[in-house]
Amino acid sequence: MKNKTNSCPNQSEKLKLISMLANKAIASIKNGSLKKRNLVWLELTGCSGNIISLLDGVNPGFRNLATQMVNIIYDNSLMVADGEAAMEKLFSIADDDYILLVEGAVATKDDGLYNVIGQLNGQPVTAYRAINELGPKASYVIAMGACACDGGVTAAKPNPSHAVSIQSVLNRKVIKLPGCPCHPDWLMGTLSYILLYGQPELDSKDRPTMFYSTLIHDICPRRPFFDQGIFAEKLGDKTCMFKIGCRGPVTPVDCPIRKWNQHVNWPIGDDSPCIGCAQFGFPDRMEPFISYNTTREE
Amino acid sequence: MSEQQLYNKDFEHIISEINNTIDSLYLTKNCYDKNKLLNNLRRQIANITMLMQNNRINTDSMIDPKNPTASKVFTPAELATYTGKDGNLAYVAVNGVVYDMTNVAAWGGATHFGLTPGKDLTGVFASCHDGQPILSTLPVVGVMAP
Amino acid sequence: MSERIVINPVTRISGFLEIDTTVDNSIVSDAQTKGLLFRGFEKMLTGRSPFDAVYFTQRICGICSSAHAMASTMALEDAMDIAVPDQGKYLRDIIHGCEYLQNHIRHFYQYTLPDFIKLPQNNTLFAANQTDLRLPKPKNDLIALHYLDSLEISRSAHEMLAILGGKAPHNHGIFIGGITTQATKEKISRLYSLLHNIKEFIDNKMVPDAQTIAHYYQDYFDMGRGYGNFLSFGCFNNYSQLGTLYLNPFTYHDDVKQALDPDKITENIVTSWYTDQTDTFTPYETIAEPDRAKSQAYSWVKAPRYDGLPYESGPLARMWLSGEYRHGISAMDRTLARVFEAKKIAEIIKVLLSNLIPGVDLQQKYTIPDHTVGKGLIDTTRGALGHWLKIENKVISFYQLITPTTWNLSTRTGDNLPGPGEKALIGTRINDTASPIELGRIIRSFDPCISCATHLYRDGSLVNSVQIVS
Repeated sequence: MKNKTNSCPNQSEKLKLISMLANKAIASIKNGSLKKRNLVWLELTGCSGNIISLLDGVNPGFRNLATQMVNIIYDNSLMVADGEAAMEKLFSIADDDYILLVEGAVATKDDGLYNVIGQLNGQPVTAYRAINELGPKASYVIAMGACACDGGVTAAKPNPSHAVSIQSVLNRKVIKLPGCPCHPDWLMGTLSYILLYGQPELDSKDRPTMFYSTLIHDICPRRPFFDQGIFAEKLGDKTCMFKIGCRGPVTPVDCPIRKWNQHVNWPIGDDSPCIGCAQFGFPDRMEPFISYNTTREE
Repeated sequence: MSEQQLYNKDFEHIISEINNTIDSLYLTKNCYDKNKLLNNLRRQIANITMLMQNNRINTDSMIDPKNPTASKVFTPAELATYTGKDGNLAYVAVNGVVYDMTNVAAWGGATHFGLTPGKDLTGVFASCHDGQPILSTLPVVGVMAP
Repeated sequence: MSERIVINPVTRISGFLEIDTTVDNSIVSDAQTKGLLFRGFEKMLTGRSPFDAVYFTQRICGICSSAHAMASTMALEDAMDIAVPDQGKYLRDIIHGCEYLQNHIRHFYQYTLPDFIKLPQNNTLFAANQTDLRLPKPKNDLIALHYLDSLEISRSAHEMLAILGGKAPHNHGIFIGGITTQATKEKISRLYSLLHNIKEFIDNKMVPDAQTIAHYYQDYFDMGRGYGNFLSFGCFNNYSQLGTLYLNPFTYHDDVKQALDPDKITENIVTSWYTDQTDTFTPYETIAEPDRAKSQAYSWVKAPRYDGLPYESGPLARMWLSGEYRHGISAMDRTLARVFEAKKIAEIIKVLLSNLIPGVDLQQKYTIPDHTVGKGLIDTTRGALGHWLKIENKVISFYQLITPTTWNLSTRTGDNLPGPGEKALIGTRINDTASPIELGRIIRSFDPCISCATHLYRDGSLVNSVQIVS
């Protein structure tokens, strides 16, 4: 798995890149050449999956982020303060410099009341209000995960909460890190790059090209099976998942080399198809995820 | 522009891109840039492969998309039977030409961004892939009845 | 003197929750728990491919996605009449068990402990005006270190999950028949070694830390009791070779433990923002329509009932029903039971690992029936989770979810009995109404997950302020 010494240099360099960037940022902050910036983690209409995914990251991990890289001003999942004190903390940052990370879509139905994230001065703070007030003033806005980037599962039809992406609400540059959830490396790499050099190179859909430039299909270890027309007939098979509905050919992200959870495994490695969670249009336009009665002749 | 001209143009274009990428690779010391360039290179090679496959398919199948009378003619009802389901092949019509999507990578499980085969997808194709050299890479199986 | 205390947001839970209480002479006389997030998964699932339910429903919750994979898979197996071999059960229960470990460790260290200890105040994430912190500095600082150490341990629980499940959160492994992939010798030995470290941490740090907290906060053994009605759908059970490693479906009421009868489960919407032809219905019966104009409703949390009564679900319920923990019923007992359960689950995973046979392929090419129904009832990290589905013309025509937090933070029915979480808050003495730390400590002992409860929120009096924004 991860201990192969003879792996492709392109792949191993890619894996090393995140820790190189983060270590450089940490060292620069330590020696004072780089300022520790404020970070606001705004969870809106979603499932908390991205903060959990971040906690699963390593080299750098959440511990590095919270203690060495940034001042986390607000994060509803982990911060100690609660109630109005937490909300005051959140909105007190508005006049300062801060990077805004957003997970979850924005529920807009009924003035946003389908998702209230807290209460300030006795009034509810909707996800819609929070993103409108905090989005424009942030130095960077990063949308993490399918919901923040494109509505995702939260906006799946019939979209009962009328959820929309962050970009639909904000008239400004939003860096997008799609994925369900966002891989911790994609976030930590992007964030480290921002701390060091500013905005990384983005593609036409505002995804950092350092992670989202190559189709899964083009670097899939099971590609030779596709080229030879050897297809899995069911989950659990070790060949190409194309006939079952694999979305690797339409999903540009580096899952096959980065893998998940300390690089141990990934969906196709688990003998199941890619469901295109890092592509815009997930989930509605990536379904059906698993098809058993397709073009194979019986 | 004929398919062949388009093919040659794309081919030359990609070759010059590859040369550019290789030049840049010589110059860069930064591993991040290098990775990006290598990714570009892989993409460009994939494009060439696609073009070459298309050329082979067009030659092999002896169907000339420019000469509709030479190939099978589909009625909408006929096309509708190529659903990609239950063992049926996956055919799609664009601009009057019928393509076989059965083994096209982007149509995993015979679906593509929520679209299903057996239909004329001219409108959605234009809205998503306008200007992209995609049709020339697809295997042609016939034309729609006028 | 009567005063209203509202906490919103309740941080360090999953999702968005408001606690709304009335306090008379320092005693909580009434309490409402309100979920502030609605997405509507039951509506979304209609019309989708049944197979997709397994990956789709996981997106209900980022912290307990495997729970939904389990329940949806079991519902499909029930609907399609598929029997799962023991190897399949072992493998997916290991995945599910890893989620328990990840969840319990994170809940104890990241969500619960900050109510009881002081974390480094020079870190903006931890800075807060806390009161009533009682640990001596050396003990406090040791546990604060464990807070950071635990990050690595909960992370490796998810690494274990990914070895069999592909990735976490939102795994690809759990599926009809067991899991998608096969166990290999390499995977099994890697799982053993990760489990060993997790077990060491639980035994040597987590359990002692919990006992330290319990020692300094003994009054919390007398707070947040709730009803003392317990319910479990069972978990780590029904193996043909190993029998039951943890618990079969049981209920506990008035000192009587009985086998659970799923037909006694109803949902009620009297005080919830829904209308239907009936206020009380069984899970297969109907998906109530949202109705924000409904009077007397105060929340969009539905009210599940068993035999007409509110029941608590979760680690304390399971440990109580299995007889492993009978110390008491309170906020502190809930926390201790969760920590002891983590230890128990690690032991169960070890047993399951030792029974794995490498290389068993569990998957078949499945066909969806034209018309069928099925239910999947399973106890998950936070308690009893049920998925009920109907299939018509090979697609999902009906999908009902009742999540653990819907049980625990349930609203009221016509009898006006508060939900278990509300009941646990009522009667609590608040030492300092300016800093009502008791409320958060009690409600967090339930490990609420509002993302799962998928509730809808509206308070008519608040509309004006929102219009200013929009």
